[in-house]
Amino acid sequence: MMEFNNNLPIYIQIMNLIKSKIVSGEINGGDKLSSVRDLSKELKVNPNTIQRAYQELEREGIVFTQRGMGTYVTEDIQVIRSLKMNMASEIMNKFIDDMKRIGLNMDEIKKMFIEWIEKEDR
Amino acid sequence: MFKYIKYEIKGTYKYILGVLALVLILTIALYSLVGNIITNPIARNMFVGLSMMILFGTALATFLYIVGSFRKELYEDRGYLTFTLPITGNQIVGAKLIVALFWILVILTSIAIYHFIAMLIYMTSFELSAFLKNIFTVEVMKRILVGIFMTILNMIQMLTIIYFSMALGRVTFKNKKIGGLWFIIFLILSWLISYGHLKVVELIPYYFDLNGFGVQNSDSMMYQMNMNPHGSFSFSLNIDSLITNIAGLIYDVIVTVGLFLGTSYLVEKKIDL
Amino acid sequence: MKNIVEINNLTKKYSNKIALDNISLNIEEGKVVGILGPNGSGKTTLIKILTGLLRQTSGEVLIDGQKIGIYTKSIVSYLPDRNFLYKWMKIKDASDLFKDFYSDFDEGKFEELLRFMKLDRDMRIDTLSKGMHEKLNLSLVLARNAKLYVLDEPIAGVDPVARDEILNAIINNYNEKSSMIITTHLVRDMENILDDVVFLKDGKIILSDSAESLREERNMNIDDIYKEVFSQ
Repeated sequence: MMEFNNNLPIYIQIMNLIKSKIVSGEINGGDKLSSVRDLSKELKVNPNTIQRAYQELEREGIVFTQRGMGTYVTEDIQVIRSLKMNMASEIMNKFIDDMKRIGLNMDEIKKMFIEWIEKEDR
Repeated sequence: MFKYIKYEIKGTYKYILGVLALVLILTIALYSLVGNIITNPIARNMFVGLSMMILFGTALATFLYIVGSFRKELYEDRGYLTFTLPITGNQIVGAKLIVALFWILVILTSIAIYHFIAMLIYMTSFELSAFLKNIFTVEVMKRILVGIFMTILNMIQMLTIIYFSMALGRVTFKNKKIGGLWFIIFLILSWLISYGHLKVVELIPYYFDLNGFGVQNSDSMMYQMNMNPHGSFSFSLNIDSLITNIAGLIYDVIVTVGLFLGTSYLVEKKIDL
Repeated sequence: MKNIVEINNLTKKYSNKIALDNISLNIEEGKVVGILGPNGSGKTTLIKILTGLLRQTSGEVLIDGQKIGIYTKSIVSYLPDRNFLYKWMKIKDASDLFKDFYSDFDEGKFEELLRFMKLDRDMRIDTLSKGMHEKLNLSLVLARNAKLYVLDEPIAGVDPVARDEILNAIINNYNEKSSMIITTHLVRDMENILDDVVFLKDGKIILSDSAESLREERNMNIDDIYKEVFSQ
């Protein structure tokens, strides 16, 4: 069962959950998402909340609904890529903020970052 | 209502069956011991007295159990089920009343039958044919039927007074719970009703004689009503007359129906559980 | 959106206290509404008035446009906070009773719920544990296709495993034509299934909004809001 944290409305947390699954490849472009009912049972959340999450995702262009058939992830590669980029830049922002908070300046951050990447490559 | 009667019976029949079995055993024991085995007259009387007490105790316990079924709805958790079912107060009270009456009659009839059979078996001096000849005459049958009729009507009235008293204890009037022991309310109410009957009979002394099917008005009639003359639903069962006060009878019917409808109304629209 | 429940200026007074103080509340079709508050806040009083077990002192209560009565009892499926089945019954007797009196009772659904709750038709009610009782009562209540479900403290006093099973059953049973009122003081477990929440304190509504709006506005979950609201 998914643990919902305190700070965000649940529908936003569900949207984020679905977005990460798309970006990680767990859900592919064109795939059908679980029905509102099924997902509500799975996550133990009010179906209206799921419905809202799907509606917001549709507004953002990430999914689309076919009447009577269900909700599908977009097949538009650009959309998925920009989603990935958005998530990546959010992570970057948070990384920089966190590093700054422990007292490192931008030069130190840059140096450390490059070292780490090169280590990973080997 | 018949649906609810089904569940009312299902819930109570086991107890009643138990009581019937118990009474059967006691009756047989009583007759066989007193009939033939215990010859000492003092012991016999003691034994009969004891059995009477046990029988009375059983009767009282059973009666309390039967009316207790209504009480449980008002004071125990099961009321949360009964009073949220989509049925009217009339249906609930009617069902309880019918089943209560039914069990009382079953028990009374069974006791009568037990005694009858026991007498046949154990009392060697009992002559069946002579007995039956004496019973099956018009006069005696009339009185038996009237007696049964009277008993049933009296039972119904008593039950409705009890149910009404119980329901009253659970009603909120002007934001105050009426409360109180239903038994006290019952006593007060019974007294009031009897007093009312007395007054009605005094004011309207017209009598109906089943012997000749005529209406009479005579002070001498009142003297003839020597068996509980002013009690509810009473007929005088004398040899030569079979009379009842008309106004009194109507009064009793109105009171009983009124209490029934009153209880239904309270139960459907006024109780606070 | 139609209102399945309309409450206007409802007051319930006893000689020594005011249980409900002039509350007004509407509940839309298809919504799951949580009435939250500690014991004594008036939750159960409100529920008993909706189900016909208590009379209001003043004010109007309408369910599906009708005053409380035989009709409303036939469309409201009520789960009380106690064991209300007749003690002599077996589970199958309870099922028969519900089938006899409620035309919206779905026997198939009941069988399914029984299996889910691991209960058996031949079990005697007086041998059931508290958790089993609760699960049985819930099965009977959810097996009806009612317009309004009223669940009074459905998970109070039950072990965590039973609690989960009960929550699952409630979620699985959701249908957008029916509404549900759930009272609880165990907000943590229930809050994800609530559309709207109503906070009741000393007989008054002190907060009433959609759960998600509250989360968004205050950056807290409902459980925390509850603690904040009731800690004075």
